[in-house]
Amino acid sequence: MRFWQLFTRSLKETYRDPLALGFLLAFPLIFMLVFGAAFGSDTTPSYDIGIIDNDHTEVSQGFIDQAISQISIFEVTSFDDTDSAREELKLGEISAYVVIPGGFSTQVSQIMQGMEGDIVLNITYDESEPMISEQIISSVNAATRQFAQIEIPVTINTDPINIGVDITQMDFIATGIIVFGLLIMIPTSGRIMLRDKESRFLYRMLTTPAKPWEFIAGYSLSMVLLATIQIFFFILLGWLFGMDIIGSLWLAFALFLLTAICSIGIGMVVASLSKSENQGESLSWLFSMPLAILSGVWFSTEFMPSYMRTFAGIFPFSHAVEASRAVITRGVGMEAISGDFLFLVSWAAVVFIIGTILFSRTMRS
Amino acid sequence: MTDKVKKAPAEMNDIPAIQTSNLTRLFGSLVAVDGINLEIKKGELYAFLGPNGAGKTTTISMLCCLLKPTSGTAAVMGYDINREPYKIKQIIGVSPQETTLSEHLNSMENLALVGHLHSIDSEKIRNWSKLMLETMGLTDRAKDQVRKLSGGMKRRLSIAMALIHNPQIIFLDEPTLGLDPQARRAVWDYIARLKGNKTILLTTHYMEEADYLADRIGIIDEGRIAALGTSSELKTDIIEKHTMVVYAWNLTQKVIMELRNRYEEVEISNGTMTISDKKLDFKDIINRLHTAGTVVRSAHIKEPTLEDVFLKITGKELRV
Repeated sequence: MRFWQLFTRSLKETYRDPLALGFLLAFPLIFMLVFGAAFGSDTTPSYDIGIIDNDHTEVSQGFIDQAISQISIFEVTSFDDTDSAREELKLGEISAYVVIPGGFSTQVSQIMQGMEGDIVLNITYDESEPMISEQIISSVNAATRQFAQIEIPVTINTDPINIGVDITQMDFIATGIIVFGLLIMIPTSGRIMLRDKESRFLYRMLTTPAKPWEFIAGYSLSMVLLATIQIFFFILLGWLFGMDIIGSLWLAFALFLLTAICSIGIGMVVASLSKSENQGESLSWLFSMPLAILSGVWFSTEFMPSYMRTFAGIFPFSHAVEASRAVITRGVGMEAISGDFLFLVSWAAVVFIIGTILFSRTMRS
Repeated sequence: MTDKVKKAPAEMNDIPAIQTSNLTRLFGSLVAVDGINLEIKKGELYAFLGPNGAGKTTTISMLCCLLKPTSGTAAVMGYDINREPYKIKQIIGVSPQETTLSEHLNSMENLALVGHLHSIDSEKIRNWSKLMLETMGLTDRAKDQVRKLSGGMKRRLSIAMALIHNPQIIFLDEPTLGLDPQARRAVWDYIARLKGNKTILLTTHYMEEADYLADRIGIIDEGRIAALGTSSELKTDIIEKHTMVVYAWNLTQKVIMELRNRYEEVEISNGTMTISDKKLDFKDIINRLHTAGTVVRSAHIKEPTLEDVFLKITGKELRV
């Protein structure tokens, strides 16, 4: 088990170097603390929402008064018709408007009586504010299902959701921060290998019978362990700052761990290609920062041109953001994110194979 | 430490430990190693003597399967460096030129790491490590992280790491580079104890190191082996002239002229006369000086050094 020896050695090199360990652990956590302090406080955002009741029943009025108006982040204004609401939306006076269609009360009553029904709500929003609209849609979805006491989704959002929880700003931001924190493992994960290259310690190790995959596994495993600790702290801090994990904690954890493994794999590729720590770090940052933006860790990718979204989709991080956000904020299960999950697993496998091939090529030049 | 020597194939018992055939390595247009042909016997300590950039480390890197030769090939215990690198890596121990250790691991852990990578079991590693550290005078520092050790200690540990798995072939690349004379002597003594038991290829640019340790010396310059032989063979075969040094008073012009007529080179400097020729008659020179009334305080035949050999072969001094 040569890779195990290389792993324990890398681990010791990391935890016995307080400065390096501090950087590896503290940097992303500080990031989370700053974002948490900025977005995780009780200061919840407020959105002006228009509502048009085309059902004109007690049920629809009750829905407005007891559900929509109770959403803490909404300031609700009633409109008689969609034209006036649309005008207000254009003027920026409201962020979105919700149309309750005729037959709404019938559908709600049927569902409450255990019969089949389909609650339809039409939400019109400003496309230039994709993050806000996403939050509004999710909040309306949650409130509607709470009002109707149903487990099936409404048409505006077909994912099952825990209806008892308000969606907060932190719920949206935390997932992006966590993925970003794991994405910056690209520059940090290759550090020990590059340091060994520079100090020529790797030269000595390469004179032993250890195989390329054993080196890659040895260098990576210590980082995977570190990533596991990071993810634990990320989730803990996110929770302390008000992030509610509606779906499975373990599924979210698994998604984050796969994201970390992809980052570490990319780090191994970069480290295999680079000759020095400086070269490796420069290359990593050059690669990881644009990727962070493209993957939607800070901003929603909705406003990007489609070709950029397609490009971002080649890499694992946009999938990680989408899937983890769906699990955390909408409570979806594995069946809803299996595509993203498999994509991350495949990416991790492929990037490690590439890393091993590149490492073996640089072993003997 | 004799029960874990990895055996080379039986039919290879009579083959040389290291054999190269026109081994060549280019870096772009730079010829680092230029068609080297070597044959090192089992149990021999062979020293590459040459200045920095002569091609010593590049040759070792190719023999350790870290660099591919541009042309030519080599075999280590019969294993081809191009086709069987992992077999070679199982039977070699390497102490690189730089003292490369895992800085946050202690001495025992560094030794254990190399031992485990060579699939030695833990108990043997523990026992051998203790023995190694004792031999290298590092027992007291066994549990200290190596970043806290002195340069000499690190160098000794580096050599121990090359030996911990009891390899058949040992490559020591500048093993005493940067050490103070005392530490250097300690390392020499240890290497000298390995002679005969292990095949050692040592590179150095310290002449006295090659002179003291090596069974045979290959003088390497600009990627080529310029001369090869034992220390005394190199000195006697290559340095044709002998030199006599005389410290004397009352040297007269007459006796100096007399000696200049008889011998090839006679130089005087601060009362010291140096006489060089292919054939020197010690007694004749002393008699002539006495007859001329010169007081001879001391006189001796100067032994040629490897520096003289290197100067003679390459036309330049060995840069240290």
